[in-house]
Amino acid sequence: MIDINNKGNSSSDLREVTRALLQEHENVAPRTTVLSCLLEVQENLHYVPEEAIVEVAKYTGHSINDVWGVASFYTNFRFTPPPQHMVEVCWGPTCHLLGAMDVLVAIQTKLGLEGEGDVPDGVIGLKYNTCLGACSQGPVISVDEKITGVVTVETALSVLEETLNPS
Amino acid sequence: MAPDITLTIDGVEVTTERGKTVIQAAMDAGIYIPYLCYYPTMKPYGACRMCVVQVEGRPGTPASCTEPAAPGMVVTTNSPLVNALRRGVTEMLLSEHPHGCLTCHRVELCGPQDVCLRHVSVNDRCVMCPKNERCELKDTVRYVGVDMDSPLAYNYRNLQVDVGDPFYDRDYNLCIACARCVRACDEMRGDSAITMIERSGTVLVGTSFGTSLLESGCEFCGACIDVCPVGALVETDNKWEKAQSVVSSVCTLCPVGCEMDIEVDSRGRAIRFVGKSDGVNDGQLCYKGKFNTEMVNSRKRLKNPLVRREGTLQDASWDEALEAIKSGFAQHRGESFGALAGNSVTNESLYLLQKFARVGMHSNNVDYIANHRSKVLDGLGRLIGQKGATGSYKDVGNSEAILLVSSNVTEEQNVAAVPVKRAVKAGSKLVVIDSREVEMTRYADIWLRPLPGTEMVIVAAMLRVISDESWENHGFLNDNCEGLIEYKNSLWAFDLKKVSKIAGVSEDDIRRAARAVATQGKTSILYALDNMGIQSQDEMVQALINLAMVTGSLGSNEGGVFPLLAGANQQGASDLGCTPDTLPGSTTLENISHNTLLEGLWGTKLPDASGLGTIRMIDSAMTGEIKSMMIVGYDDSLVNGDIPNALQSLAQLDFLVVQDVHPSEISDLADVVLPSVPFTEDIGTVTTQDRRVQVVTPAIAPRGDCLADWQIISLIAGVLDFGDQFNYENSGQVFGEIQHVVSSYAGINYGSLSIGQSVQWPSDGEGNGTSTLYADGFPSGLLVLQAMELGTTLTVDVSEQYPLIMVPGRVLYQDDRESELTKQGLNNVLHRKEIVEIHPDDAMTYKVQQGDEIELSDAQGWTRRFSVSVSESIVPGTVSVTTLFGEMATQLQSSKDPIKMLRAPRLNISPVRLDPAVVAVS
Repeated sequence: MIDINNKGNSSSDLREVTRALLQEHENVAPRTTVLSCLLEVQENLHYVPEEAIVEVAKYTGHSINDVWGVASFYTNFRFTPPPQHMVEVCWGPTCHLLGAMDVLVAIQTKLGLEGEGDVPDGVIGLKYNTCLGACSQGPVISVDEKITGVVTVETALSVLEETLNPS
Repeated sequence: MAPDITLTIDGVEVTTERGKTVIQAAMDAGIYIPYLCYYPTMKPYGACRMCVVQVEGRPGTPASCTEPAAPGMVVTTNSPLVNALRRGVTEMLLSEHPHGCLTCHRVELCGPQDVCLRHVSVNDRCVMCPKNERCELKDTVRYVGVDMDSPLAYNYRNLQVDVGDPFYDRDYNLCIACARCVRACDEMRGDSAITMIERSGTVLVGTSFGTSLLESGCEFCGACIDVCPVGALVETDNKWEKAQSVVSSVCTLCPVGCEMDIEVDSRGRAIRFVGKSDGVNDGQLCYKGKFNTEMVNSRKRLKNPLVRREGTLQDASWDEALEAIKSGFAQHRGESFGALAGNSVTNESLYLLQKFARVGMHSNNVDYIANHRSKVLDGLGRLIGQKGATGSYKDVGNSEAILLVSSNVTEEQNVAAVPVKRAVKAGSKLVVIDSREVEMTRYADIWLRPLPGTEMVIVAAMLRVISDESWENHGFLNDNCEGLIEYKNSLWAFDLKKVSKIAGVSEDDIRRAARAVATQGKTSILYALDNMGIQSQDEMVQALINLAMVTGSLGSNEGGVFPLLAGANQQGASDLGCTPDTLPGSTTLENISHNTLLEGLWGTKLPDASGLGTIRMIDSAMTGEIKSMMIVGYDDSLVNGDIPNALQSLAQLDFLVVQDVHPSEISDLADVVLPSVPFTEDIGTVTTQDRRVQVVTPAIAPRGDCLADWQIISLIAGVLDFGDQFNYENSGQVFGEIQHVVSSYAGINYGSLSIGQSVQWPSDGEGNGTSTLYADGFPSGLLVLQAMELGTTLTVDVSEQYPLIMVPGRVLYQDDRESELTKQGLNNVLHRKEIVEIHPDDAMTYKVQQGDEIELSDAQGWTRRFSVSVSESIVPGTVSVTTLFGEMATQLQSSKDPIKMLRAPRLNISPVRLDPAVVAVS
């Protein structure tokens, strides 16, 4: 196992980390594709740096532009380092009917954001999600990949508060 | 071939080939179906839904570009339903595409000189689109007929126009995301330098992380521009100009002979070159041919004759110039005269030049300058029968295996690389033997990187492996070849272990390469043999022909031997005897019967002493044995140092006549300079490197006092009283005479030659050429396998002062190296810390380590700083540097030199010295 946390953020480090991830990926995956490689990178680094696109291109034998075409197609890939925390608000049909928009607006107001994105100091980021897979629990939010169901504006804000300033 | 099928389109019975799609069947039958993403030479894509049709008995409206034509099908291309669908598509496209050109009520009223009356917002004005009046989308939309008060809200994307990259501008505000450019780059060129980024509403064409094309692997061939249906992609030069007329002709910059449309504006300037998709080049051009308009249009062109008076060249009339030539040449006839022909000279002019030298001046000193770089045709004539490629370059794509030897094909014969790349993409094996890293090494399955000068030994070792493993095509050898025993005996000298040591290539790699070329089926062998001496080239051609024989690759359209020539009309020069040792028809001076024929026709006795070639002519000019010369056309070798001391030698001449389009360092030395025409104003024929005789058609009237080369030669012959041997009314008459004396041209019907109707010699007289030679056997009956000798000639002589061999390389991009982009004004400039790869032993000798800064310099005064990278894969005694194509592209773009494309730097291996870098004082 490589320790990605012990690596810096320099270009050559990112390349090395990506190469190690792809090697590991090849060892366990029955079949590797451009998409599976990108997912592997995103899963471990929580984003896909430019260096990783180059390495995935080299590894899969495609041009960097071809790999970028795939990566940019999927909104789930992000290409800049992630914030410390990530809130995802489901606005799929079920959550929407159950009041997700109120929750979303409240969170945006609290974070001072107008749409998706990261707060300026990089502490937290907001992302829309079209389904977190727990429709019976709607409205649903996810903070750092931990799901909270049946949220109200108040509970959502308190989860957020707990994340930002743990008691 | 599959039998034809019949279907009905709009009530018309249409017969088409099985496998064609409905849109192809309709187009062949002259029925128009509107389309946007479809492009005739590319695979169907089915994205735009503009070409939808109705098929009787079928639900829905299939796209005719993806729908295969089937027997009995009844297709309606124009019904209320499909028209409504098409209008819907157009509405959506126009909701993001500026469309003042369609909606402004002044569209029909405005003339070219009118100021826009601002009925439309600035971004949407017709005059803001470089493709205004020549846009495919506009034509399609008009055909479909769109209601202009669309229910859709209009959204201008407001993207910055990208003008930083060399040669072309990209304005994605005008893009309709048809992906033609992406597919052209990927499917037709194999580069994938651009891609579709993002999706649905925000999908656009782009590059990885929005980087410049300089870093994306672009070869600046312009294929994307030629297919773009809107104004999103356009050439930077003459971007806003409109064509007044279009003439189809041939590019004469390199021996591929791409067919193209020359667009000419109202001022008689060539504004655009567009590849012809039905041409031999499948619509492809390259950075040189596509962006070469300045060469034709330059104001610096020679407009009138110049005569040296009191030491300086001064304007003169034709009569004065010819008078000067008359007195200048009067004292220098015979062997003290020499004639040289440059890169792009037509067949007619080459023929007349050699006739002028031989008949008029009684000298065999006549050569095509590029012959000094390559002698790759002679071996083909001697060993197989004809001095020419055995097949057609297009057919290289049929081969299961391809061997490419010492060729920088992407830069020097660009479009010849296209079928190779396509074949590799389709699964053919590519073996590259080259000590330089060039673009094609990236495509290679196996890249052998020998010590420069040992390439032939590698091929011989591959032959040894093939023999040991008995991978030969025994049937072909039994039927067509002899000399097998001597050949096999000679292979004993090429012990793999020994060869591996000499060449610095592993035994295993040689074995793999041999397996790849010998066990896949037939092989195409392509070679330029750059950087090899003439002697080594001869031996190499012999070895490669052996390889073609043992793999049974001759006489078939799935393989063959393909020389990549150094000069654009080098094939023509060979055919027409514009060489010191052969006469028109490629016959030797000793061929009595042919000599008699020529002497009878030309009415004179021919000089019998063999003449001097380019290099010896230049040397003799220095020593004073050659006193007068005539140089027709330009070849950079005389200027760039490839021919040592060429300019100094020419300066020694008593009398020098130069015919050229542009003033150059060569014409500066002349006593008389005569203005000739570029290919856009010329008429005549050229012969490609696959024996294709093409006709150069003038698109523009000759400028000023300029004349075609053959006319000038004829005028000079006139004042020198060479009789009526040089009286021709037109170039067709010259070609007629050529056909008398060159048997391979005899069957060509000159009248029927035209663009799209070129003929590969030999021809049967009815317009049919020969695309594959020797399909019915060999002229000599049996071919002789040649015994080979182990002996290596190092490519360059190292000296004490310049002890290392520098192997330069140039590639489109290297994804493992980091580079940085900056702006210089509007232009993107690529920076990269260039590295020199050096073997650990040499690193020890020079006391340098990984990361050290050093300087390389050569005897010509070139010097550059590099960072050391120690690598086991470099042969000791050599150092390797690889630069980026993008760097050269930027330099070419920013150069003001009108003949910059003729001066694109080559990758010459040269001796260098290595010094520690001088630390800059800050």
